[in-house]
Order: sequence, then structure tokens, then C-alpha cells
Amino acid sequence: MLNVLIAGIGGQGSVLAAKILAAAAQARGWKVRTAETIGMAQRGGNVTSHVRMGDAGEEVHAPLIARGTADCIVALEPGEAVRALPYLAPDGLLVCARTAIPSVETTLSGEPYEAEPLLAYLEGAAPHFLAVDEAAICEEVGSRKVANLVMLASAVAASNGTSFGLRGAIGTDELVRAMEACVKPAFVALNRAAIDTAIARVGAPSVN
Amino acid sequence: MRSTLLMGNEAFAWAALEAGVNVVAGYPGTPSSELVETVAKLHAAGVAHDVYVEWSDNEKAALELLVGASASGARGLFTCKQMGLNVAADALLSANYVGVRGGLVLFVADDPGPISSQTEQDTRRFANFAKVPVLDPWNPESGADMMRHAFEVSETWHTPVIVRPTTRVNHASTFFDVPSETHARPVPEGGFEKDPKWVIFPRRSYAAHGEINDRLHEIASEEAAGSFNPLYAYAGEECAPADAGAAPLGIVCGGVSGAYAREAIEMLIARGAQLPAFDFLQVGTPFPFPVRRARAFAAGKTDVLVFEELDHVIEDDLLMLAGRDKLSYRVHGKLDGSTLARGENSVEDCARRIARFLGVTDALPEEPAPDPAAPQAPARPPVLCAGCPHRGAFYAVKRALRGKKNVLCGDIGCYTLGNAKPLEAVDTCLCMGAGITMAQGVAVAEPGTKAVAFIGDSTFFASGMTGVANAVYNQHDITIVVLDNSTTAMTGGQPHPGIGRTLMGPVSDPIRIEAVLEGLGVTCIEHANPLYLKESLAAARRAVDFEGPSALIFRSPCTQIVRPEPRAVVDDDACVGCRVCVEAIGCPAMTMSADGSKMIVDAATCYGCGLCVDVCQHGAISAAVRTEGRVPFAGKAGE
Ligand code: SF4
Ligand code: SF4
Repeated sequence: MLNVLIAGIGGQGSVLAAKILAAAAQARGWKVRTAETIGMAQRGGNVTSHVRMGDAGEEVHAPLIARGTADCIVALEPGEAVRALPYLAPDGLLVCARTAIPSVETTLSGEPYEAEPLLAYLEGAAPHFLAVDEAAICEEVGSRKVANLVMLASAVAASNGTSFGLRGAIGTDELVRAMEACVKPAFVALNRAAIDTAIARVGAPSVN
Repeated sequence: MRSTLLMGNEAFAWAALEAGVNVVAGYPGTPSSELVETVAKLHAAGVAHDVYVEWSDNEKAALELLVGASASGARGLFTCKQMGLNVAADALLSANYVGVRGGLVLFVADDPGPISSQTEQDTRRFANFAKVPVLDPWNPESGADMMRHAFEVSETWHTPVIVRPTTRVNHASTFFDVPSETHARPVPEGGFEKDPKWVIFPRRSYAAHGEINDRLHEIASEEAAGSFNPLYAYAGEECAPADAGAAPLGIVCGGVSGAYAREAIEMLIARGAQLPAFDFLQVGTPFPFPVRRARAFAAGKTDVLVFEELDHVIEDDLLMLAGRDKLSYRVHGKLDGSTLARGENSVEDCARRIARFLGVTDALPEEPAPDPAAPQAPARPPVLCAGCPHRGAFYAVKRALRGKKNVLCGDIGCYTLGNAKPLEAVDTCLCMGAGITMAQGVAVAEPGTKAVAFIGDSTFFASGMTGVANAVYNQHDITIVVLDNSTTAMTGGQPHPGIGRTLMGPVSDPIRIEAVLEGLGVTCIEHANPLYLKESLAAARRAVDFEGPSALIFRSPCTQIVRPEPRAVVDDDACVGCRVCVEAIGCPAMTMSADGSKMIVDAATCYGCGLCVDVCQHGAISAAVRTEGRVPFAGKAGE
């Protein structure tokens, strides 16, 4: 079983990232289940997408990932990574975006809300950790909307040739094909650029 | 056939279309809404042929329409969330007595948690109360099979049938093979046949009650033999389908809990647990209870553990069976505290309880101790979007009421989020349409208090209008604030009677909210664009000061249906860092700089609505819509 949790904020595109991962797994002939938080939470609240893949050909029963069993968490925001961390498996990989996004509550509290202390904690707490400067990659690509693909591609790249995270189970070319099957034709080039740039950056991954 | 990733609700839609459904009608509500939208989309794409689909004005209207269509021989599908069935209850209970002709299936989505609902009511209980069969899927695949089957059961026995998924089935996705097109089954030649049976009378009802009792009996025994109540025998690491129980221990599940429990069992096996032999029963047809299947399972049992969400429905039936058959098994579930009495079940929770039940707690993973060094994840509740028109409406009304004792009665929709800081403009929220009538109760009980009701445009049409009539008729001194954002925003932007569009295409004349209010006798009707503070404040004061029922219509589109305006800009030289803007309207696009000295507008989040321009007393904020003197979002309709 390969469990991937995508954690983010409503509107960041975690659902599309989950769809793309599911399509890649399906292309491999695996049984896949995904689940989303939909509804009220979408209005700027925290959201998660669960992707469960029977990578050994097994049946997948539950749509949701149990705590402590996510092989990989793709976090689109550091605070959301902290929230999702209890889901990470003992040998799991956390791939985390570097940009902190304040909530109305954090702004009203008057306390500063910053990424650095969160990232520092996550680096120590996650068995395997990669922080991605997703904002820089998005800027290079020219759209802030593709952070989801940047992060997903980073997770795929960081897992290449490893025995943790996605365990190299999904190749970057498979990710590209799955993306092409899932996004509108007009957005393929942009998302392709997001994937390529992210992979080039992660390239020789310095995952600890 | 091609393999496609379908969300549960999409799979239910496909299954109904494959079953030849003719008419689909419902009222939106999470987690049910995507079914109707999928049908509409497939119809518009030329995939689903000859089907009629609509968002009805409310659930009662939808179900009554479908009962009519069924009487004409059409297959009908009703959709709503659990509380929607309360609204349609009157129609359902009588329709069961009258009986149906074309298959009539009610798709009612329950919401354990609850995740986005007011109640944790259980539609299986409702089915029992209404004496209508209910099917309870444990994943989207079983749900699609049940949907097809439900039409058959409905027509065979002339009964409405409920298919009741829960959120985790509605919103879970997996791959399905879908056909290239579907065709509705032709409505029988001649259509409606005149017959006294369509007119409900006490005598007829007495006879019908007998028919209902008989058919429930028959359906229970047919379903007991069917595939929706699968029984498995677990021995060691093996799990095999079985016809009867053999082991003294048994686990019984309803709905998605079955998927959790099976996963938990596999987890325990994978962790090296030596499980004793036990039987596993999934109850997919909880009402009428498949007694024969349960009896076969129960043979020789000493202890049974039941996992189900919401109410203890299966548990009750197992206890009843034990009493009736004088069986000596003990039932462990919600009633004796062996399983969660409310909220959602989970794999983790099932694993703990099953491990205890089977005596293999050694195989449980260690609970990681909470890390005292862990930073707090930020509180991030859902909020009104940046640029949301409701923000200005709430802010203006609250300002207009400053110094006056007031009660602000909210309603169901995105605008319920107006309760959050810093707006804090929702004092009550009960059920669809209740804000207008609750305000009247406040006005009667404490005459000096300003009672204000907020209601969205879609909710206004769904269940606000009778409340307005009541206010006018009984001359209640309330102010009705209609938040008209031209859509049903909370559930994903469905059209409604006030919009010039239905799911089947454009309509000539949308119903005007003003015309309704006027027609119902409201004489004071104020208007304002909520994105302009001054005009909103003035209009709010006029409406609130009016004696008797008054109305105030705030009109500006939901940001989800328009493209953004150029972002607001903060002049750092003018901004004094007073935080007044942040603390007044709390737009998610506004944050403070790290040192707290300046307000920052996030370029990607800001929708350019211009409201913050009016809030800053230092003239530090500017927005293109204001400098250019344009009405925000006019002519910016999205795709
Ligand atoms: S933008 Fe205006 S209201 Fe907001 S902090 Fe600056 S000066 Fe104060
Ligand atoms: S213009 Fe001001 S109030 Fe409107 S979305 Fe932008 S920051 Fe928020």
C-alpha cells in the first residue's frame, strides 16, 4: 500500500494533485482510492486529499489514510504540514512548501506567523524531509496557481531511487502523462513547465 | 466503456443514468450536490440522452414533482442531504402510502461528524419511520450497484427506495468503467392512468398500510439472500465469503465503517496478530432488516461487535433478534460504549476496538507520545472569501446597529461564516429559512430589540418566503436582509429561481426578489451595493429604523462566479499600522507586516472589491475599481 496525503488550504489545488496521482497509479493497473474534504472547509479552511494506492496489487478498502501510515505527505503550506504530521509513517517523507500563508485568525491574533520556526521543527520531526521553495519555482514558471504541481513533482523527484516516500514507484514521465490526462489542454504547457522546473530544482535530491 | 476516476456522487449519477432514469430533481446540500450536477453536465455534453434534470426550489418541491413523474410511469431520482429529507418528509410519507409506478429512488446523503451539517440524524432511522426500504453502501462501487438495484426494487414493490451514502462514500473517488452514452427509458405509452389509487384517503391509507407491511416483509427476505449483505469468515490470515456464521465471535458493520473495519483487520494481520476465527457481516440493507441473513450469521455467537455511524440502528436490530430468537450473544456497540456514540469512525479507532475484542492488543501500533516541542498548527477555519460581498453587508448592518440592542439571525449558506471574528454578525442559525421567522420571535418577546434576519438569495426562494408572509401578516417589526450574490455559493454555485438560468438552459424571466417582497406586502425595501460602505450604512439605517417589516437587499456577485478586479494597493507612507481595517472586516487578503507597522494586501488573494478602501481612515488603501469609478465585477461574469 502506498499512502499519499496532500495537505493544504482550500483553493490551492490539492484535489487536482490527488487526481493526477490517482491517474498515474491507475495507469500502473493498481487499485486506487482518493478522498477529499469538500464543502465548508473549501472556503479558505485547511483541506486534505488522501490518495491510497494498492501498489502490490492489493485491495484498498478505506478511502482515508490512517494516522501514522502516510508514506508521503505533500504539504502546500508549512502550518498545514504541522497539522498533517501525525499522519506520517515512521519512515515517511514530508515534502513541504516554504511559504507560510497566514489565516485570518493568525492575522487577528497580532502574533507574527512565519515559516522558519515551522520548517525548523518539521525538519527535525519528519523522518525524511524536503523543503521546496515553491514560490521561486512558481515565479520562474510565471503562475502561482501551479504550486500544487510543483510540490507533487518535487515529491516524485525526491522519492526517485529511494525506499521511502513514493519509493520511486511513479516515474517523472508517468507523472507528466497523468497530468496531461487530467488538466485542460490549455493548461498542459504551464503545468509541464511546473513539473520540469520542480524536478530540475530537486534534481539530485538533498533529502535527509 | 472507458475507465474514469469518478467521485462517489458521479458514480451514483452514472448508475442512475444507466438504469434509464427519466427525471432527476433535488436541492443542493453537501455532501449530495454533485449527483445532479453530473447528470446536468452529461446531458449538456450529449452523453446522457432524454433525461430531464433540475434544481428544484426546495426538497419538497423536488420530491412532489418526482412523485408526479413516477405516476406517469417515469423513473425518478430525488437528491438531497439528510436534513433535506426533513423538508420533503411530508411528501415521502404519503407517497409511500399512495405507492409509485415508475421507479422512485431517493438519494439522501448523511454526514457523520458532522462535517458540514447541523445534525447527525440517521436516514436509516428515517427510512424505518417512513416504512421505506433503505440501501446503505460502504464504498462508491457498492453504491452504484445499489442505485441500479433500487430502481428495480421500487418498481417491483411500488415503493419509494432510499439510497443513503455518507460523506466518505459521496466524496471518495475510484475508477469506474463508464459507457459512451446513456438513454432514459421511454415513459410508458399513454402516460398517467386515471385511478382512484392516486388520491390518498383514510380508507385507502388503511389498505395501503397493509400492503406496506407485507412488502417490507418480502423485501427483507429477498435482500437477505442478495449480495448487499455479504458475510465473510475470517480464519487466520484468510478471509472467505460464507453462507453462515460458524465462529463464536462476530463483527457487524454498516456503511463505510465496513471498509474501515476490514482495513483495520488487515492492518492487525500485517502487524503479526494471531486472530481467532470470527465472522464478518456487512449490513447493506438495514431497513427492512435482513433478519434471515443476520440469523445465519448469529448462529453460535457469544459476542458481536457492531460498527456503524450516527445511530445504533443495526445494533438495535441485533438486540431484537436476540430477544426474538432467544439467542444468548452479547451485542457490543454504541449502547454499551464499545464503539463511538457519535461522530465518524476510522481505521485507527476500529483497529483499537477490534484488537480488544479479539484479544490481540499486542499487535496495535504504539501511540506516539505528543511532542511537547511541536508548534501549534495555525487555526484555519473556513472564512468568507476575499472580495465576498457578505463581508461589507455584515459590517454595514453592524455599524448601523451600534448602540442599539440587537439580535442578528443568520441562516444556512456561506454567510453563516459571518459569525467568525472579526465580523461576529451571526447570533443564531437553525435551519433553512429559520432566520426570518426566529427574528419575529425575538421581536415579539422583546419589542425594544432590533431583530435582523440575514438570508441568501437561494435560501430566500427555498424557504424564506413563507417567513416573509408571516412577518407582513402579523406585522412583526423585523428587518430582512437579503444577501443576493446571484448563486447558491456554499454548495458550489448552483442556479436558483432568481437567476435567468436552469440546468437545462436559459429562462426568460428570473423571479425578482423585490417583486416577491412587494407582492408579499413589504413596503420598505432598501437597496445597496455591499462593497460601498457609505451607501450600505445609509440603507441599513433606513431599513432598521423603519417600524414594521422592512427589507434590505444587498446585491453584488459571489467571487466564485466573477473574475477578479485589479488588486488593492496600500500606500506605505499613508498607512499608520493602526490595524483598523484588519479588525473591522478581516478580509483574508489582508495581513500585517512582520513588524506590525504596515498592512499588506496579498496580491494573489485580493479580489479587488474595494471595500477596504472605505474602512481605512487614513486613505492608505486604493483600488482600481474606485479610482476608475467602476462598479466592481460588473461585466466580469466568469465562464
Ligand atoms: S491600511 Fe489604513 S486601516 Fe489598515 S492599518 Fe493601514 S492605516 Fe490602518
Ligand atoms: S480589495 Fe480589500 S477587501 Fe477587497 S479583496 Fe482586496 S484586500 Fe480584501
